[in-house]
Amino acid sequence: MTAKDLFQRLRERKGTALSVALHLLVLGWGLVSFSTRSVEAPQEDVIPVDISMDNTSKMTAGIKSGKKENPKPLVDKVAEAKPVDDAVGKIDKKDVVTSTSTPDPPPKPAEKPVEKKPDPPKPVPKEVPKKAEKKPDEKGDDPIADALKADKKKPTPKQETKAAPPQPPKPKQERVFDQSKIAALLDKRDPAHQAVTGDVINPNAALGTRTGNANAMVATWQGAFVSAVKRCFNFPYNGQDADQFEVDMDIQLRRDGTVASTPVIVAVRGPSKSVGNAMAESARRAVEQCQAYAFLPKDQYDTWKYIPMTFGLKDML
Amino acid sequence: MSKVPFVTRRRFMIATGSAVAGLGFRSAWAQGRLKIDPDNFQPMPIAISNFVAGSPADGDAGAGITGVITNNLKRSGLFAPIDQAAFIEHITNIDVSPQFASWKQINAQALVTGRATRQGDGRLKVEFRLWDVGSGQYLTGQQYVTSPDYWRRIAHIISDQIYERLTGEKGYFDTRIVFIDESGAAERRVKRLALMDQDGYNVRYLTKGSDLVLTPRFSPSTQEITYMEFGQGDPRVYLYNIETGQREIVGNFPGMSFAPRFAPDGQRIIMSLQQGGNANLFVMDLRSKSTTRLTDTPAIDTAPSYAPDGSRICFESDRGGKPQIYVMAATGGPAQRISFGDGTYSTPVWSPRGDYIAFTKQGGGQFAIGIMKPDGSGERILTSGWHNEGPTFAPNGRVVMFFRDPGGNSGPSLFTVDVSGRNEQRVPTPGYASDPAWSPLLS
Repeated sequence: MTAKDLFQRLRERKGTALSVALHLLVLGWGLVSFSTRSVEAPQEDVIPVDISMDNTSKMTAGIKSGKKENPKPLVDKVAEAKPVDDAVGKIDKKDVVTSTSTPDPPPKPAEKPVEKKPDPPKPVPKEVPKKAEKKPDEKGDDPIADALKADKKKPTPKQETKAAPPQPPKPKQERVFDQSKIAALLDKRDPAHQAVTGDVINPNAALGTRTGNANAMVATWQGAFVSAVKRCFNFPYNGQDADQFEVDMDIQLRRDGTVASTPVIVAVRGPSKSVGNAMAESARRAVEQCQAYAFLPKDQYDTWKYIPMTFGLKDML
Repeated sequence: MSKVPFVTRRRFMIATGSAVAGLGFRSAWAQGRLKIDPDNFQPMPIAISNFVAGSPADGDAGAGITGVITNNLKRSGLFAPIDQAAFIEHITNIDVSPQFASWKQINAQALVTGRATRQGDGRLKVEFRLWDVGSGQYLTGQQYVTSPDYWRRIAHIISDQIYERLTGEKGYFDTRIVFIDESGAAERRVKRLALMDQDGYNVRYLTKGSDLVLTPRFSPSTQEITYMEFGQGDPRVYLYNIETGQREIVGNFPGMSFAPRFAPDGQRIIMSLQQGGNANLFVMDLRSKSTTRLTDTPAIDTAPSYAPDGSRICFESDRGGKPQIYVMAATGGPAQRISFGDGTYSTPVWSPRGDYIAFTKQGGGQFAIGIMKPDGSGERILTSGWHNEGPTFAPNGRVVMFFRDPGGNSGPSLFTVDVSGRNEQRVPTPGYASDPAWSPLLS
């Protein structure tokens, strides 16, 4: 068959030709668009971060105060039955509010009590601006009709701040009920705690939830030290009972972050004495190999000149 | 290390409790100790310096020994030997303490130095020393004198010493593997009984390949091998003496006998005997030649394997319909089924440590090698794919060898994998290889 014949046949069967052409087009497109490789992200080395004790202490201070305040959630109690919902539902409530906000004034008070904590702070001048910033969201709900205006103008915050004042009256109405309690709460709070928790953990505090998560995520010199030693701790073990081995070791450090004396092995636990002892040696080797730990904050030397540690193999498998 | 107290968990808890109650911690944070768990396994960096030649003629032996040790430790997956090109210090005299700073600089945690010297009587003296780089502490050392022909064996023994000193467990390098060497086309495969070092060297063929041989197993003394051979008639269980080359049929039974394995004392062989369409387990005393029946079921009971203390036996049986693994007392009696996963379980073998039973698991078109505890719990698949079979434990119970047959025109090969499932390695063999069995430590 010549090319001419083929062309003629194709002409006769335009539908077929069109179909073939379209299929080829789709296949070609597929080849191009699906054959691209996903970009491989290069693995990054773990780098210990030197974190000053100032940050750490502030974080822990905030947390500690949070815990202490938890028993106080008298503020939440003011909101009464809703504290139960608080933990999970604050965001949900907001959504609900957005849908019905304008028509129903009552729901607002319900929400606001949660945030009223900020309100009471009025006596504390510092928190007032914070409230103003956070309220904008809800306030945006209130002036739904003005939404367009808000979009147009950057000074939205101003509008919001302006909106803020109108709200206070509502809380005031509630204050009529709770004034004494709120005042009592405010009095009990340490101003310092309010400042810290208000900035960072405000929503949690308002909900009355624990700040335990924040505590776990706080990076400390302990974390940096652990990750530094971990880089050198590679005990050669391939048994299935790795999680049963533990070595307790006391480490003494000099101010410059070097090991002051051979780390003392306090205890070795595990199903095999010989393996446990080899692991203890490996742990000691790791501590000595990875020194000096110069990143440890020198002004806090008293907290790390003596470090009791426990080495395990739990996560190795 | 004798100063290190070894305490039980309970004793430690009591001690810790009283310390906390009485004195409290010296640290500012009384909540406890800083905990370190490695995120994942990392092999230990170790520097193995070239063994110094006692005389210019010993250079080859020194380099060879260094190479064998390096290969052993690397293949174990637990150590990461550092490339010699990175070495800053070149050891020329092992009697002088190494410059640890230069070894620390290349991140070595341990250092091996050694020397090989041909003595006046023609024998080879090999010395080695193991150092802790961080503390500069001398960890262990030894010297051996042997015929120069056995330099590989010395290298394996030194590897075991290093392994034991750093891991706290016995090594497995000074061992042998007995296996079935396979050669020729797939339809006319010649199978010979073969023996080699665990690293694939020093291969010896024990049979000529005229008869089909299967399932070789070492005796605890490593001097004898028991296996099954298809001769002129029914397949029979044979005993083969490695030193003398003598072989004999184990027992004189009417039907076929197969799946033999030594008892831990080396004085008895346990095996399956065919009885009609069934097979039952028997144990035969090699001295008195007396035979004891252990099972009597209308099923196929096979692949028996002793616990290391000789008190119990695991075996494969289809008494429940499909092949599964059972455990019973070594004297017979009721058997307890321990495998309950999907698919069928076969070729169980008890770890020399006693802590696990390895098996072949078949299901879903896959042949997997796995381990489980003797009570059936903790099942763990180590490798899976097309036709993995026949697990055997290293003498320290930390490594499992098996064979993998991809099918088609190619043939099977030997592999090892840690009981953790990590570090799968192919074992070099001259041709195709199957049915491996690991010997106990030779020394």
